[in-house]
Amino acid sequence: MEKPEKKNILLILLAFFITVCVIFLCLAKSQTLKEIAISFYSYHDSPGDLAQKDSVQLTKQIKETQRRISVLQKRIENLAPATPYLIINTTKNTFVLRTKKDIIREGICSTGSYILLDAGEGQQWIFKTPKGQMRILGKITNPVWIKPDWAFIEESLPVPSKNDPERREPGSLGDYALTLGDGYMIHGTLYQRFLGLPVTHGCVRLGDDDLKTVFNNMEIGSKVFIF
Amino acid sequence: MKKLNISKKTIITFLASQIAIVVIIFILFDLIPVTREYSTISDKVSERGVNTTAQLSKESSNLIDMVRINEHHESYLRNALKLSKIDSISLLIDLRDSLAILSLKGVSIFESKISKIQINKGLKKLPDFLRDSLYSGPLQVTEDLSSIEKFPIVVKKPAKDTSEVNKTEAAPTIPKQNDVFVLMAFDNNMILEIDQQENKLAGSRFAYMNYKRQHMNWFMSRNIRSLFGSGQWGYIYQLKIEIPREDAGSIYRALPIKPFVLVRY
Repeated sequence: MEKPEKKNILLILLAFFITVCVIFLCLAKSQTLKEIAISFYSYHDSPGDLAQKDSVQLTKQIKETQRRISVLQKRIENLAPATPYLIINTTKNTFVLRTKKDIIREGICSTGSYILLDAGEGQQWIFKTPKGQMRILGKITNPVWIKPDWAFIEESLPVPSKNDPERREPGSLGDYALTLGDGYMIHGTLYQRFLGLPVTHGCVRLGDDDLKTVFNNMEIGSKVFIF
Repeated sequence: MKKLNISKKTIITFLASQIAIVVIIFILFDLIPVTREYSTISDKVSERGVNTTAQLSKESSNLIDMVRINEHHESYLRNALKLSKIDSISLLIDLRDSLAILSLKGVSIFESKISKIQINKGLKKLPDFLRDSLYSGPLQVTEDLSSIEKFPIVVKKPAKDTSEVNKTEAAPTIPKQNDVFVLMAFDNNMILEIDQQENKLAGSRFAYMNYKRQHMNWFMSRNIRSLFGSGQWGYIYQLKIEIPREDAGSIYRALPIKPFVLVRY
């Protein structure tokens, strides 16, 4: 007598399982089912006040709107900087140096690695390139890198005092640097093979020739768009 | 082994019950919310007047279409100007020119060619004046789903010794290739999906399945909510675009949390 009962229980469980699956599938595919449901309906369009106008009035309205569109398009075009500006894509690690109309130069760069350096005792640094619109605040030839605390902590070296000459590292920033504020810069690199990769501590690294072109075309106050 | 003793009647009853379940779910979760949405829209159409484009001459009808297209373009440009006053990056979707544009302070900083546009039936069927109002104004994203992290942060401890430093300098960690699928929801029952155009997955299948699961759960929760809610998410107006994987990643990571989106159709 026991065996058929067990079989019945199994069948009931199977039926229950199938039902649950059917319910789940219907809910999961609800978007498709709604598309079927909406097929049953259609709307009348209502042009409203426009229907009262004759073709002369409508043509006039179109012309007026087109004139306003041209004005708006001009206003938008004028928002682009008049002088050369730099656009940096931190996801692709690419840059475009351009004017309102033309591209001057484009290529690869290196931006922030998104590494969060956790030195313990609440000391943390996140190496990301800031996003938004910035301006060139300074132009430096043969820049010297003044190493911040994290550069020593990252390498497990003792942190020297503020004005210690050990902090000065000439040559590692390339021939030029353009400052963006808060310690961020656009500069060269010794690690040319890493260009195109997100490996920096937040600064933007460019190849030697690209850096020279950017340095020569950008003035203090020029805009830099980073995204 | 004994044969299972299931009568034909039991099988028919079971199948009928399954069909009944499907029909009930269809009525409750799909037909009723869609009907509710349809009556809301029909009421708005009636409020506007009984004139239909069908009663107009072809010339008038074409001119009216031109007026609308131009007015929508004007409104798109006005809103783009409005967005240029904010400090964060906005996303402009130009369906007419098939472009997804990142704009900052009114400057177009990135453009990606849209390879495919999918608009669901409800959005296609909407009367023009309602479609205009749905797209009008910058839309602010209220919630989003994505197959990639917005901030790909990696936690690192300081090097133990100089040999470890040298090793890192010799070979930095190259970021993983990830597949990019994004869903952005607005508070007007509309969603924008940005999918990578590449069919072949670059990342792990697990990450892709995880996104698909989240995607399905999102729709399921809206469907259940629509059953009890007052029309909210009764029908989801869906716009889907496909762009190259890397471009989709750039766009998603460039946008702030709850960004503004502007659509031109």
